[in-house]
Amino acid sequence: MASFAQQFRGLKCPPLNDNKFSTSKKNQNHYPPSLPKKTSVISAAAVAIANAQTRERMRLKEMFEEAYERCRTDPMEGVAFTVEDFYAALDKYDFNSELGTKVKGTVFYTDANGALVDINAKSSAYLSLREASIHSIKHVEEAGIVPGLREEFVIVGENEADDSLNVSLRSIQYDLAWERCRQLQAEDVVVKGKIVGANKGGVVAMVEGLRGFVPFSQISMLIRRLSRGLVNLFQKSTAEELLEKELPLKFVEVDEEQSRLVLSNRKAMADSQAQLGIGSVVIGTVQSLKPYGAFIDIGGINGLLHVSQISHDRVSDIATVLQPGDTLKVMILSHDRERGRVSLSTKKLEPTPGDMIRNPKLVFEKAEEMAQTFRQRIAQAEAMARADILRFQPESGLTLSSEGILGPLTSDLPADGLDLSDIPPAED
Amino acid sequence: MTRRYWNINLEEMLEAGVHFGHGTRKWNPKMAPYISAKRKGIHITNLTRTARFLSEACDLVFDAASRGKQFLIVGTKNKVADSVARAAIKARCHCVNKKWLGGMLTNWSTTETRLHKFRDLRMEQKTGRLNRLPKRDAAVVKRQLSRLQTYLGGIKYMTGLPDIVIIVDQHEEYTALRECITLGIPTICLIDTNCDPDLADISIPANDDAISSIRLILNKLVFAICEGRSSYIRNP
Repeated sequence: MASFAQQFRGLKCPPLNDNKFSTSKKNQNHYPPSLPKKTSVISAAAVAIANAQTRERMRLKEMFEEAYERCRTDPMEGVAFTVEDFYAALDKYDFNSELGTKVKGTVFYTDANGALVDINAKSSAYLSLREASIHSIKHVEEAGIVPGLREEFVIVGENEADDSLNVSLRSIQYDLAWERCRQLQAEDVVVKGKIVGANKGGVVAMVEGLRGFVPFSQISMLIRRLSRGLVNLFQKSTAEELLEKELPLKFVEVDEEQSRLVLSNRKAMADSQAQLGIGSVVIGTVQSLKPYGAFIDIGGINGLLHVSQISHDRVSDIATVLQPGDTLKVMILSHDRERGRVSLSTKKLEPTPGDMIRNPKLVFEKAEEMAQTFRQRIAQAEAMARADILRFQPESGLTLSSEGILGPLTSDLPADGLDLSDIPPAED
Repeated sequence: MTRRYWNINLEEMLEAGVHFGHGTRKWNPKMAPYISAKRKGIHITNLTRTARFLSEACDLVFDAASRGKQFLIVGTKNKVADSVARAAIKARCHCVNKKWLGGMLTNWSTTETRLHKFRDLRMEQKTGRLNRLPKRDAAVVKRQLSRLQTYLGGIKYMTGLPDIVIIVDQHEEYTALRECITLGIPTICLIDTNCDPDLADISIPANDDAISSIRLILNKLVFAICEGRSSYIRNP
């Protein structure tokens, strides 16, 4: 049987080819094409070797011809709709393929460099790896693109070669990310950002997939400095250590048009340490000197150490006592939470007046003790003052709560922290 | 020949984008009777013709399947490769979804030899003879096996020439189409506005680029094949 077929095949091909070419030349304007000739050749060859298979095939072929003829002569049979329906419905399914239009599509094939998306257009669209997500990923699956995913894409380009479109998810994600950042800024929320790079002036952090800039001045170096034994460190080297770390950050500036995103670490730290108690002693570093005092950085917040609060003795030139980068212990006098401002003092911590100038180390060591003493004296003074008010105005509607806090009859807690700077210091 | 109603829905076709053609500059003037309009620089095929041809094709295919004929689906574009494979599995017919090797049908004797070798290798793998070979030989044999699997995997059960061939894109599969014509095998082909409608026996004017349109047409044909097969099983 196999040899039969081979022989037959050998016979069939050459005559058929010649015939096809010649007839096609003759019947170029002839429509339908040269079917009768072909069948006659086949039948001629078939007569020579009557093969059941070929006969079958010929019969099938004839059926196909008939079907084709039927299609031509009777174009509307078996079709459920008319031409008018078609034209009417055509407008509904028009496809807008301009750059920047959003389309809904389904992913149906992924490979190493991208994915193919089926949109209702001439041909499917291609989503390349770069355009799949804001973050840099190695495979589209990491961004969650699997076959069967239905999503909105935006058209970014067109492939001339095969009429396919290039789509992207990145632009949409960028818009969403900027929107989120704006909202977070409005709500004043602390976000965690990973440091990915450093440059002159600050570091770059990734927040919500966007790169934001954190200036050096806005980074609180306190933790690092403490761990190194209070040594003054050069700014650049700390930046390198910060790489790959996550810091709490707050938004300072979110501007989409100019692509500016500025974050601040110290604002975030300021929030987290808003519960700093009045009268507590903290370690701080001198940030800058001003004619009226020094700015001390404590745990992310800038506190002002006024020149009058440095020491009991008159300080003529601050530079003699303090230098930028000096570490010292200060006591918190008051805390303005809304503006993140803290008033500090070292005067209270001097065992003997004038110590700050002469012997800063002594102040340093004795700081805790002095603060304790100070607090006790303040508490006493307060109690005296409250008792006085009650005595003189019993019907003023104020009462003394269990903690000794003066307040209206109805409320339990004081409205805000006490502002101690108004109270004159108790003299020995 | 039985005429049945195949549910060819206009809405479905429009949604799949079957009516889109290629750009106006790239058309084949022989397609003029099947083109209905020009929009935004692309031709729109006349879906009434499409539906007519599709229903005829389904009838023919149903008839052939009910007489126990063999089908072959050819689609080698990498976009449509797995749809073709799935359609072939569903209809239980042969398919070529990786490269169409030249002479696959006209040089059937060689192809058959390769298929025998493929079958033998698979048998060896199943019986575990490959594990007894030294590592390098086993690797060589495995590589051969994978090559044969990719190129001939779809036709591994084919014993002779197929009776009907369904081709998905005329431009891509031109060699396959020519082979079928020389052998006299009836073909059903998906035609786009830049293709020649006279080459295949039944040419269905449709969009050959969008995966959903190819899927739609293949589904209809596969459905017809399945129906035909089931009636064949009932009364052979």
